[in-house]
Amino acid sequence: MNIVGVAACVAGVAHTYIAKEKLIKAAQKAGHTISMETQGQIGIEDELSSEKIKNADVVILAVDTAIKGRDRFTGKKVVEIPTEVAVHSSGKLIKHIEENLKL
Amino acid sequence: MDIERILNENLIDLEMNVKTKNEAIQSLTNLLVSVGNIDNSELFIKDVYAREAEGKTGLGNHIAIPHGKSDAVKITSIAVGRTRNGLVWESHDNLPVHVIILFAVRNIDKTTVHLKLLSQVAIALADDETIEKLLTTNNKTEVIKLLSNKMH
Repeated sequence: MNIVGVAACVAGVAHTYIAKEKLIKAAQKAGHTISMETQGQIGIEDELSSEKIKNADVVILAVDTAIKGRDRFTGKKVVEIPTEVAVHSSGKLIKHIEENLKL
Repeated sequence: MDIERILNENLIDLEMNVKTKNEAIQSLTNLLVSVGNIDNSELFIKDVYAREAEGKTGLGNHIAIPHGKSDAVKITSIAVGRTRNGLVWESHDNLPVHVIILFAVRNIDKTTVHLKLLSQVAIALADDETIEKLLTTNNKTEVIKLLSNKMH
């Protein structure tokens, strides 16, 4: 499936990026395509294009704080979790999404 | 990008003699003070604990990443410590912590270079093999290499 997501933690220094990387690894390992945007202290990186969002089957928000541009995902299937879950259980999360989306 | 801007051998202690989380944070803060990256350890540690209060900094697998964004930080950088003693540290797997990577972040950074480097270190920590090696290597140069291996 096509996954897009945003990672953002409170400090925007470390967890944001670990969460992003863990989700990418887990999704790719399971054979999915994934694009992750990060919103950290540096600002927005790898910003999701409207095309990617349009084609996404699911949106993963690994966020501990309010994010910019949340309205981009209106009408999409959104799974929201704390960054901590992405950091330690990305594999399980992807599996859970697979089972629930029946893709 | 050059990781030496945020981490060098003077900021690594692979044989820390500490028994508690508090001692570990103090010991790594002292390293950052000794090279001039932090000018007020009390203020910095207060800011580290303010972050601790917001959520777990234990990553699991015996690693913790405390971090402080603080006026006491002069140069955004990291310090890496390892201890034989398993430290009690809040994490999802509740395993004792042996490797501590302390992130010191300036309140206002003129450029994003250092922050970008920190994010690359965080990305390196998402790799299980990297974590495994960090727990065992006795070579500081390898520690630096491990934490920079995802840099482009």
